[in-house]
Amino acid sequence: MKLHFNAVRANRGDWSLAAQGTFCEGMHLVSGDVGSGKSTLALMIAGLFSPTVGSIVSDGISSKMISMQFPEYHVTGLTVAEECRSWGLDSDPILSGINLNHKRDVAPLTLSRGELKRLHLACVLAKKYDLLLLDEPFSSLDAREKERLCEILSQRTGGITILFTHEQTCFPQVDHIWEIQQGELFDRGEMPEALTRWMHAPTLIKKIISSGKILKNISPSDLQEAVCRT
Amino acid sequence: MIVMSGLRCRNIRIDSLTIPHGITSVIGPNGSGKTSFLRLCSGITEPEAGEILIDCKKPRETDVGWVNEFPDKNILFSRVSDEIASCLRFSHRPCSEKDSAVLAIAETMDIMHLLDRTMRELSGGEKVLVALAAALVQRPKILVLDEYDSHLDETRCFQIEHILRSCAVPYVIRCTQQMETAARGDYLLYLEEGSLLYNGSPARVFASLCQTPFYPLSWRCEV
Repeated sequence: MKLHFNAVRANRGDWSLAAQGTFCEGMHLVSGDVGSGKSTLALMIAGLFSPTVGSIVSDGISSKMISMQFPEYHVTGLTVAEECRSWGLDSDPILSGINLNHKRDVAPLTLSRGELKRLHLACVLAKKYDLLLLDEPFSSLDAREKERLCEILSQRTGGITILFTHEQTCFPQVDHIWEIQQGELFDRGEMPEALTRWMHAPTLIKKIISSGKILKNISPSDLQEAVCRT
Repeated sequence: MIVMSGLRCRNIRIDSLTIPHGITSVIGPNGSGKTSFLRLCSGITEPEAGEILIDCKKPRETDVGWVNEFPDKNILFSRVSDEIASCLRFSHRPCSEKDSAVLAIAETMDIMHLLDRTMRELSGGEKVLVALAAALVQRPKILVLDEYDSHLDETRCFQIEHILRSCAVPYVIRCTQQMETAARGDYLLYLEEGSLLYNGSPARVFASLCQTPFYPLSWRCEV
């Protein structure tokens, strides 16, 4: 499975984004500041936004899913249980897994934002997709849920998963890092070599690297392990 | 001081709490009542029982600035300068006073270049900055920020942190899911299921949370 960006450019007024490269199977992190074009890139890959020039070609990808930043955009059910069923899922195990069984009969839009994000991600991650796009999956989640999501994503196998985020501390284990800077998508390469090329790495990661510690990956446990290692 | 006593509203149950001057962060699991708590502090919601006094006045008798997690929800005008001036206009301040106040806050926050742009053109981070300017332009006594940082990158977070420190608002109350941000505040509240479990300095509250994921990762990874 592969996803090719062939001289892609998206223009919107004065703003533009250029992308070239290939996403192979594994967990990819696309980082970049707010407004850099992470969501636009995700929408282009999902086929919801057309590049102005160039093409995005899928190779061997038969199923894909995009999880948008705002979970409200995905809601179709009138109750929490119905929302699970709208994804073709049995609501009982899904809601037990995210501790929302007691809210099964309430309207999804009456949940707190973090609870709604939890529900949405549980539905998305319950299925396997060849290509999974997660746009800011950590926003609105509390610290416990962020850690839980990192563990689930770190265990994900098969297919291409692309994580678009400006999160600063909580990441799953990733295979490849990309970065959007000044209107261009840069391939920082495979882990762990990508870490030295990651220009806008979060302060904590930069600090650990500059202290001479060897970082194998960027999940919370990798960071702690690197710091504890002498 | 902000003094709360016998506070009851929806799932919020706080018997007694005093919040000092400075930046207070509110943290807790999703659904713990952080937004409900902020709405009470800002006077958007009134308590079902008990009271909140901000320097002896109720929130609705106090000048309050509010920044929503999604600034789009609060946008009233299409032009940035009009948006920032909105509360001054609604209080019928003279045009000259309004214009100079907008320029002053834009200069302080380094967003002069945004003044003539339309709100629609702005990025998410820029919208938060404009919402913050609109909240600060009337020099509120209390500034309430509801997860303003959940859609911001690190650079923008540090920029806003700097603005909050230099704006001289007596009380800033913000909820956040970034524990590093919470650690930089002066005072910290930890809510769970509507109850206040811990309050005090960040060092003291995080000491009680050291076995949980709420403990700042940067503190665990001291290098």
